[in-house]
Parts: sequence; structure tokens; C-alpha cells
Amino acid sequence: MLHTIVKTLRETQGAHGWIVRQVENNSTQSYLIGAERECSRRVHSERYQVTVMNDHPARDGSGSARGEAEATILPADLPELESKLAELVFTAGLTDNRPYDLPGPAQYASVATADPTILADPSAVADQVTGELLLALKGEAAVRLSSAEVFVEGSQITLHNSAGATGSQRTTDLVVEMVLLASGKDNEMESNVMLRRRRAADLNTAAVVQRHAQYARDALVARTPRTGIFPVVVSNEALAELLMGEGDSPLVLRSSAQAKYQQVSPWELGQRVLPEPLSGDPIVIHSNALVDYGTRSGSFDHEGHAGGRTLILDNGMLRSFWGPMRYAQYLSIPSTGEFGNLELAPGSQPLSSLLSDTGTFYHVVSFSAMSPDPITADFVGEIRLGYEVNNGVATPIRGGSIGGNLLAALATATLSSETALLAGYYGPLAARFESITVAGA
Amino acid sequence: MDWNHVPANLQEARQHLPDLIRQVERRAPYAHALISRNSGLQITVTDREQQVKEMEPSSGLVLSAWNGAYFDELATSDLSKASLDTLTRDLSSGLNVRSPVGLDPGPALDQHWSTAMQHDPTNLSVKDKLALCLDLHRRTRGLDPHIVNVQVRYQERCESKAFANRSRHLSQNVLRLRLFVLVVVTDGARIQYDWVDKDGTGGLEVVSISDQELHDLCTKAVASLAADKIPPGVYQVVTCPDVSGVIAHEAFGHGVELDMFLKDRARSREYLNRAVASPLVSILDDPSYPGGHGTYFFDDEGQIASPTCIIRDGVFRQGLSDLFTSHRLGMPHTANGRRESFERKNYVRMSNTFFARGTTPVAELFSGIDYGIYLNKTSSGMEDPKGWGMQVTSQCGEEIRQGKLTGRLFAPIGITGYVPDILQSVSAVGNDFRLTGGTCGKGHKEWVPVSSGGPHLLLKARLG
Repeated sequence: MLHTIVKTLRETQGAHGWIVRQVENNSTQSYLIGAERECSRRVHSERYQVTVMNDHPARDGSGSARGEAEATILPADLPELESKLAELVFTAGLTDNRPYDLPGPAQYASVATADPTILADPSAVADQVTGELLLALKGEAAVRLSSAEVFVEGSQITLHNSAGATGSQRTTDLVVEMVLLASGKDNEMESNVMLRRRRAADLNTAAVVQRHAQYARDALVARTPRTGIFPVVVSNEALAELLMGEGDSPLVLRSSAQAKYQQVSPWELGQRVLPEPLSGDPIVIHSNALVDYGTRSGSFDHEGHAGGRTLILDNGMLRSFWGPMRYAQYLSIPSTGEFGNLELAPGSQPLSSLLSDTGTFYHVVSFSAMSPDPITADFVGEIRLGYEVNNGVATPIRGGSIGGNLLAALATATLSSETALLAGYYGPLAARFESITVAGA
Repeated sequence: MDWNHVPANLQEARQHLPDLIRQVERRAPYAHALISRNSGLQITVTDREQQVKEMEPSSGLVLSAWNGAYFDELATSDLSKASLDTLTRDLSSGLNVRSPVGLDPGPALDQHWSTAMQHDPTNLSVKDKLALCLDLHRRTRGLDPHIVNVQVRYQERCESKAFANRSRHLSQNVLRLRLFVLVVVTDGARIQYDWVDKDGTGGLEVVSISDQELHDLCTKAVASLAADKIPPGVYQVVTCPDVSGVIAHEAFGHGVELDMFLKDRARSREYLNRAVASPLVSILDDPSYPGGHGTYFFDDEGQIASPTCIIRDGVFRQGLSDLFTSHRLGMPHTANGRRESFERKNYVRMSNTFFARGTTPVAELFSGIDYGIYLNKTSSGMEDPKGWGMQVTSQCGEEIRQGKLTGRLFAPIGITGYVPDILQSVSAVGNDFRLTGGTCGKGHKEWVPVSSGGPHLLLKARLG
């Protein structure tokens, strides 16, 4: 069907540019309530994502314009393919944008995005993960499994564009969501975690269970934090959430060529973008699509641009905007393709040093939700679990919130030397921010 | 589009469903099937770009077999007869029946429903809809010199579904519309934004935005450039319907989805038939609410939509369920079984969730406040059914002094606290009502269209 779509696109009048991506996905899903199965599912899907560009005179008389339209072709649409593509051309002809090109053929770098174990037998991996999970819990006092969901997926992505770029890559995804319950004398509390990895070996189920079982037990005795301005250490998944989120981080948005073109980003190349004075570790950020088994890794992106590693921030100074060819051409800068994994350079101090302090500070290990505003970089997040540390003694806390501005916080951040690959984040395991507002009791 | 009939491509697969069910039920004590086809259009106009795209369509079938203990499911995007036959054989042959006890298929029913509307958007061309967006962009762009960008987004999503079990043969066409205008402003030093959106099930009549609303939007966006950080503390708070709705949905609604009972994740279970809120508070979930963004005619398990009164006069009366949870818990079956798509599992999900309207004029909610905050826009929220901690973020809040709004703004504002404490603190409920649409996840995934809202509320909460 891909061959038919490409051939038809080549023959379609007015399709002056086009991209087609075939995505075929197989998913094995397993759901548990306690140790019992709630549901098991297998899903197969196939779709073709088509973007068509049409060049025409701009309606405001400013020269030529390029319009684009996108659609997804499903297998059942094949008999109507020609009319669907003609409709796309017509729709693309309605919109006026500045002309731009698509990336041409390129030598794509090799990056590992698929786990052979998952490709070989996804059901076995799902069973193995649930088995490891239940086994690990046997060793945890007063903690049981509330529920778990294990998704094991394999995808095949094949891309062609009208500029001659072509590529194919296999990806695997392993998503595990689990809720652990700890029972106290007269209450119960939970620890909830969702992990996404490309490779089963990166899951480390036993360690995750051990850590979250302790979080659940600690939540039983947690109290509300105090109100004030304190140093705050954020670690593990909570730090990945703060810095990268679901890819909508202000660090990603403000450094995007599209946001710059749209005048939504105030950042300028060569200028310091973190507020003075900088008192923490140097903040060095790359967009890196070539991290083996990173969830945002890929040999090529959605339009066929080669995946790469691009320096975005160097010691708090903007070195590059990232973006596809379209926005790069609009801004007359090199194109980088889509943002890959957010790679943050490690700091100089071990985690133990970040956590050793004779004063009072907070250590947050889990937020209810943390999603800094992509435009303003302001953030507020409820503390699902953390610790108040006084002279080295840690007391569990929950409730209340921390708030501030991510860019101001990074200007004072001390980063751990230990690193981790946590879905689309690759960087220090923990960061210590010196002056964060804590809203508590 | 002919809204009164199932689309032709769905109709063809739909006619095979009873036979698929019969084949699977030769082994399984109960089976049902759902075909869904979602399609839609999104038009985006900004200062420097225009885009038209089809909203990610999906089309497929999920066949579910109850084995006496849980559902086994197979799903595919290939709706050809040969594919469906293979799927049915695979599901039947792999079935490990644990018990002959089936599930109640409900009373016999064969019916089709479609969204009622005055102005069918599918009668307008894409060109006409693009022209509407360009006009809205033009009307907004010149309103204030602080504006650096205006984004107008129009979304039109058609969900066609066909459901069958051994006694039911149902189908529905639901049209959801959303029109969104985002204004980005700067004073050279700070950058802020605000938005207005209209949404619902229905025709173009549900998404009109007036010049006055655009003017108010720009005024608020520019004012937010001077917003301060709020000093953390406990405040007297008036919530606008948006914020009230997110409290109903995030703080309370997720905790009464009855799969949370099965998973021992719901603290609300301890409060069944007990007071959990002020006697002034009633909360409902109603998938049949006319025009709501979360409205449908039947859920993804063939249960006909009807309202559920979750809290009545402060007492927690009933949770939300699907077929599996109502069977396991022996609790009433409500029409809240929903899937993100055929590719995902069915879960207990909310639809239109809201505080019931009260009797206090809105102006009176403010009049008794010595010092407080008016929370007038929500940006996000997250559930915590076990700990019952509330996490809602308000985009902006305005200071209230001596019963009057002062114009001093704070942004953003986190609202936290223990849910029963917050619901118990409600001391007055406004006599207004509004629903706002959006999408809701279960945890961090499984997105479905919903709405939430209600009236203005007067309560106490910790802000920071």
C-alpha cells in the first residue's frame, strides 16, 4: 500500500511536496488488579500519515506561497486514495505560508531504537515484567500491588518524501504503570509510577519496586511541609518531569525555531537565557536523537531529517534553535530536525553531596503532576512525596506545593554527577535548587 | 454528512457484528463488539502560519470475550470480512473459560442516535471554515499593541460507533466542536498569554465567540503581565465555574471511578453514604447532558447514557462504573465505560462532571469576603484518589478586598489541600452554571473528551 500511495502522490497534480509515513504497530497489553489479571489485549494497527504541500500565488500578492495539509490514510481508504489525495492538494491550496523545502536524501546515523527481545516475543516480555514485579513485591513488608498495566509494543516506521529522503526504522516501547499500596496501623497510602523504556533490560523492575515500596511506606507517616523559601532537591522521575515533561518543557519550546518565528520565544542566539547571577553548575543542554534506546531517539524525524545531536544551551547561553528545515529556512539558520532527548550535562558533585546539608531543605521524589508553563516557564506542583531534611535527618512529607520559575531555578541549580536515561530525559539523577517557594502548612 | 444514519463504511462492518458475537459466545459466556471510526478536521491560523489537517483518525474494531473472570480482547484496524473472521477465530480458540457465569447484556434494543444541531458544520467547505478562522484572527490581532501573536484553532471531531452484544445493536454519530483563541502578549520584559475557548457537542452554534469576549480576553492577557507570585497561605476563595469543575472532576470525580474501589485506591469508599462535603454541595456526572463536550448516547459497552448523582446534599451516594466493575462490586452499572480508541482498554471514565447549581447570586459570594482570591481560570489538575490530596493549577487569580475585586493579579496559583476539607469548606454555591470541555487522562494516558463545570463556589483553600 505504501508503494501505491507514493506512486499516486508522484502522479497527483499540485502535490508539489509531500511526506508519507507508514506506521505499523503491534501491541500486547496486560492489566492486573492485585495479582489477578483484569484484562489482556492484542492490537494490530496500520496507518499512513500523509502531508501534501501545494505551491501557489500568495493571496496578499506577496509572491508565491506554500500551503500544506495533513491526513491519515487507513487501509480501508485505499479505494478512495486518488480522491483523498486530490482533496489534500485542494486543501493545501487554501493556506498561504512562506515557501520552504523538505530535507533530501541523507546518510542516517545508526541508533538503537528496538529491543530484539521485545520484537521476538512481546507476550513473553509482558509476562516476564509482571512476574518480576510480583516477585520483587514479595520481599517488601506491608506493601502490595494495587494494579499494574504493562504495554509491550513494536512499530515499523517507513518514510518517503518528495525530496528523495527515504528511511525505515523499527522501534519498541515498554510502558509499565503500577500502583503500590502500603498498609499502616489505621491507613493506607500509595506510590504511583509510570515508566517508559525502549528496552526491557532498562526497566530494572526490582529496583523500581524497592524504591516505590519505600515511598509508599513513607507516605503513611508523611506530614505537610512548612511554608517558606527553601533549598529543594528534585530527583529521578520527578526531575525528568520538571525538566522535560511530555516534551512540552519551556526549555524545548523556547529553543524551538518555530516558537522564535512565531514570536512566542523571547530567546536570542548568543544571549544568556538564564537570569543572572548564575550560581550553580553550568547548564549545558543538547537535543540528542542519537541516545541508544532513548524514547525520543530516531535515525530520522517525521519529515525525513537525519537525527543528530545539537548544542542548545551552553553555560546558560543559547547556542542553537532547533527545528525542521521549514523554520530553519524562515530564520536563516541550520536545520536540526525535531527535538530529540533532552540531554543535560552532569554536574560535578555526587548525589550524596547534594543531600548532605546542615540546614533545612526539601527533597522531592514525586509530584502529583509537574508541568512548567511552556511559555512563561512558571511552575507549581503538588508534592506527592518528599522529605524534609534537618541536619541530615529526613522526615517524609506530602501535600503542599513547590512553585517558581524553571529558568530562575536552573540559574542556581547544582547537578548530580550520576546520570540516568529516563524516557526522553538523559542527564543528572538529581538537581538542587537553592531558593524555591514551598507552600505548606 | 447524513447525521441520521451510520456511515456507509461502518454500516458494512456493523452488519457482521451479530454473527461475530454468536461465534464467540459458542465458547464465552458473554461477548460484545465495538466498531469505532473517528475523523475530524483541525484548522490553525496564527500570525505567521496557516494549517489545515485531519485530526488523527482511527478506525477499527475491538472484540471482547468474557471468560468468567476477565475480558480477553483482540482489536484491529482492518475491517474486512476476512480479517474479522480471523480475529473471531483467534479470540475463540485462545479463550480459557474460567466460569460459565456471563454478564448481563441488558434489555433488547436496536437504535441509532445522532447529535442534534442547528448549523451543521459539515455543510460548510474547508475554505469557509478557514475564512471564519482568518476573520477571528483579524478581529483579535488589532485589539492591543502588547499582542505578539494570536492563535485561532478550530477543531471538528466526528465519532461514529456501532456496538453489539447478543441483545443490543446500537450506533451513534457524535460531533464535537471546539474553537480556541490564544493571545500571547509581552511588555518587552515578560511574556504572558490567555485564551478563550468554546466547545460542545452540536453545530456551529456552540462555538461562537463575540467581540466582547475577545476584548475581555486581550484585557486580561495584558493585565496578567503585571501578575505577582501569591504569598503561600490559606485563603477565602471564590472559584469560577472552570475551577469549580476541575475540583469536581480531578479532586472528587477520579476517586469515585469504581475501578479505584477494586484496586483499593479510593479513599472515597470509606465515605459511601456518609457526608463528604458541605450540605450545599451536590456533584453529578451526566453523559446525556445536552451539548456537553463529554456527551454521548451510549458508552463503549452499550450502556445508555443517563445522569449519576455522585454527591447529593453533601453525602456521597454513588460512584461511576462500567460492566466489569459493577459486576465485581455488585454496584449499579452506570454509562461510564469508555475507551480512548479501539486500540485501548475500556476503563471507568467521567463524561460531563459538575457541581449542581445553587441559589446564591454570584455577586453575593464576594460581598462577605474581607480578603480573598478569585480564581478565574484553570490550567490543569491531577487526581490523587488514595491520598485525596488536591492538585489544581489556576492560570490566574485576582485579589478580593472588602468584597471587591482590586485588579491585582497573581499567576500561576497552585490549589492544594485535603479534598474533604475543601468540599466541607464550601459555604455558598452560586446560581450560575457553565461547562468547559477538554480531554481527560486516566493517570497519564487514555485521553477521552469530557467537560466539567458548575457554578461559582465560595470556599477555603491553601494557595501557593
